[in-house]
Amino acid sequence: MEKDELKKRIKEKFGEKVEIAERSPGRVFVYAENDIWVDLASFIFNDLDGRFDTGAAVDDRDGVEVMFFMPFDKEHYYVTIKTFAKKPRPALESISNIITGAKWIEREIFEMYEVNFLNHPDLRPLLRADNRPEDFYPAKREVKEEHEMSRVRDDGRERYDEVHGKPPKGKNP
Amino acid sequence: MVKKIPIGPFHPILEEPEFFELHVDGEQVVGIDMKIGWSHRGIELLSEHKTWDQVPFLVERVCGICSASHPFAYVKAVEDLLGLEVPLRAQYIRVIVAELERLHSHLLWTGLAGHFLGYNTVFMWTWKYREPLLDVLEAVTGNRNHYATYRIGGVRRDLPQEEVPGILKMLNVLEKNNDLLTKAIVDDPVIHARTKGVGLLPEDKCREYGALGPTARAGHYDIDARRDHPIDAYDKVDFDVIVCENGDVYDKAVVRQLENFEAIKIIRQCLEKMEPGDICAEVTEIPPGEGLGVYEAPRGEVLHYVRSDGGNMPLRHKIRAPSFNNILTNEYSVPGNTVADAGLITAAVDPCYSCTERVGVLDSIGRRSVITEADLVRLSQEKTEKIRKRFTSR
Repeated sequence: MEKDELKKRIKEKFGEKVEIAERSPGRVFVYAENDIWVDLASFIFNDLDGRFDTGAAVDDRDGVEVMFFMPFDKEHYYVTIKTFAKKPRPALESISNIITGAKWIEREIFEMYEVNFLNHPDLRPLLRADNRPEDFYPAKREVKEEHEMSRVRDDGRERYDEVHGKPPKGKNP
Repeated sequence: MVKKIPIGPFHPILEEPEFFELHVDGEQVVGIDMKIGWSHRGIELLSEHKTWDQVPFLVERVCGICSASHPFAYVKAVEDLLGLEVPLRAQYIRVIVAELERLHSHLLWTGLAGHFLGYNTVFMWTWKYREPLLDVLEAVTGNRNHYATYRIGGVRRDLPQEEVPGILKMLNVLEKNNDLLTKAIVDDPVIHARTKGVGLLPEDKCREYGALGPTARAGHYDIDARRDHPIDAYDKVDFDVIVCENGDVYDKAVVRQLENFEAIKIIRQCLEKMEPGDICAEVTEIPPGEGLGVYEAPRGEVLHYVRSDGGNMPLRHKIRAPSFNNILTNEYSVPGNTVADAGLITAAVDPCYSCTERVGVLDSIGRRSVITEADLVRLSQEKTEKIRKRFTSR
């Protein structure tokens, strides 16, 4: 499906709930509200015949920006659908009941960013070590005090940087 | 009665750790559960603490075999953000190194598959054919793996013109050897019996699971990022995208073998068309924005997404290796096959991380026995031997 046709059909179906932008010949962005997230993904995958590739998330002060990449290979462009899951307790409806290939990326985004994908068939941590604390989300830019590593040496000696100051940083190329 | 067989997290045929739990009823696998993350190194978070130019050195170590693919996709993501056009000579050099990597990766997989099937001669010969290829990579880039070639704006070093005759000579010999290997696979009735109809992944399931690369193309799902989203010199060379019909282990092997011929064709065209010129465009800063880079690695499409806030380090760097999508397809392709085939099917997607060291067998009343790595390989090789005896006794 050509880009202009795609933009027209998405706008016709979702109206004011989406904003569409085209940044370069190969990239179309669709910004969507949370409540139509699943419908939008399903529309592009099932009705418009886009392919599901993967997803990503970016942590922000107020929430987590979640995006999925859905290319149209024959027409040589990528559609990126984006939405914003607000903190505290960011949550989104899971698309993996419609697109099976989204199962693992949603699990990864959940365990890294604390985005709860509602109605996900199996929202277990995917990459996390078994002994990692349940409430530790490593990609979030906030760290709880109880998760800070201990800075005390276990041989009783003082830390070098506490005595002599931090060593100078290496030169950045 | 359904039993659960845990496999992992180390596997005899594959390179990195992964955990499978096979649910079996007798010899038949009825379900599979997979756990990954044993090699999780936090590379995305590490990347956010490296400068833009340091990141290629980091991401080429995401995988030892795909060490051109990840930096290639990363630099294309940053160049997408910048809207930067790379000098033509650099485009050809990038493609040459990438296709040489594809050749050595596919040959490596063919060798491992041969070993697992009991064809140790195939294993030895394939890895022998691979050696001159690695020597060429070392002559051109300085290393057999981890090439440190790709940088934002171009490449770090030029391809010396005096290396070109050696590369062409190596390609001529490799083409003949690949032809020999391909005929050995395509013509062998025992390999047919062992791999045809095993681990089927049809086209609709490829699309549903988001399968990529040879795993997808074997199931007639016609996607290839080199053709569909061409980067650098890929739109300046001619090549065919190899697609098979059934999506079984046999088709996956055939796709990889035939892709070797296409890779040789691409390298020859690049060497012929390459003219002297600059090898890097100047990049002074990375402004705020985001970029997406995709590249067709040997295992499938690699995707890198970067976001910048104008600083000297990425604000966010997302890496998606093709195996992340392809390993999930085992959910569909393994059930319905035997335990002896389960390892072969999981290996057929050429996962970038999966090794099983031993199989734990847990029966319904909690008794546990352990089968070692050697036993699992022996199980697969014994099945091949039984099939071979059936053919030779006819």
